[in-house]
Amino acid sequence: MSGPQIFLWVIALAVLAVCMRRGMPQARRAAAETNRGFWRILPMFCVALPMAAFLSELVPADIATAWLGDDSGLNGIMIAALAGGVMPGGPFVTFPLAITFSKAGAGVAQMTALLTAWSVYAMHRILTWEYPVLGWRFVALRLASSFFLPVLAGLIMRALLPFFTINLAAP
Amino acid sequence: MPLAGVQGAALPPPSLARRAPLLQVDRVLHALRRHASLMVISLIAVTAGFVAWQLRGAAAFMAALWHAWDLFLFIVPSLVAGLLLASALRQLLSPDALARWMGADSGVFGLFVATLVGTLSPGGPMAAFPLVLVLAGAGADRGALVAFILAWSLNGFQKLLVYEAPLLGLDFALLRTLITFPMPILAGWIARRVPITWEPPK
Repeated sequence: MSGPQIFLWVIALAVLAVCMRRGMPQARRAAAETNRGFWRILPMFCVALPMAAFLSELVPADIATAWLGDDSGLNGIMIAALAGGVMPGGPFVTFPLAITFSKAGAGVAQMTALLTAWSVYAMHRILTWEYPVLGWRFVALRLASSFFLPVLAGLIMRALLPFFTINLAAP
Repeated sequence: MPLAGVQGAALPPPSLARRAPLLQVDRVLHALRRHASLMVISLIAVTAGFVAWQLRGAAAFMAALWHAWDLFLFIVPSLVAGLLLASALRQLLSPDALARWMGADSGVFGLFVATLVGTLSPGGPMAAFPLVLVLAGAGADRGALVAFILAWSLNGFQKLLVYEAPLLGLDFALLRTLITFPMPILAGWIARRVPITWEPPK
């Protein structure tokens, strides 16, 4: 197990211990919810991971370096923000897909813009959850206050990059 | 779209319960909505698998499947831990108590609280968006709600630890999160000044 994984397990068990101190029924409910959640996500993983692997097999390495690479600058950041905005699905889809982008040569700042745009714009989530639950006024309010964030995040990352060595890792 | 530690997603909103004849249609639509991503992704997976087999041959096809299996084994321990954390936190946190800190007069501090709550809120959209309604009902204002939902989607710790750190590297995940952590506060501050009013749907 890697560092973050151990960290996550330690926190999870600590919070579970707090639950147990409050009372066993709560701890049992937490365990039952964990179990239900796992079986709900499993089918997603079973199709999303092969999908990403096949796509990554089909994407020639470094094909997008000119568009999205470290030297693509503001244009690359804006293209990445657009691409992130239309990426469908939850994190189990996006992050495997993001590996495909990084294999195709996307730079660190561009990946930052891509992931931020996926979180902020999230077309699929607006259509399936935000609009039905909260209404279009909330969608408008949120987008009006946050539409510039992906490009901003990409630019800040680009400004910080000279001070850090970041390698986009894939296991 | 199902995601970590989701609960109560099968319940239709109360407003639908009154319209009995429509309930069946709603149920079908709801089922479609819940499984839409699964169907779309399956379709893309099968197509991409077929094309990969045709263009790159059976060996490459099997190698890709093997890679997917490797990734699966890599993610599953974090996934289970993330789900456990989400479910345990849900037993402990009370949105009502938190919302008292997020009113219209709460200033930047209220936005900060909302951002922190959003970052720590586990689970998928079917847990987070209804929580916006709960927080609104308990007194959180539009700026705090915008900050909350953005913090959840941008910086959710569960996504960070379960997916981003293992798949893209811890260095990248941490630096990106440091950059985007204050952004929900900024967006909430702007949302309080944007002339779009919002009332929670009844």
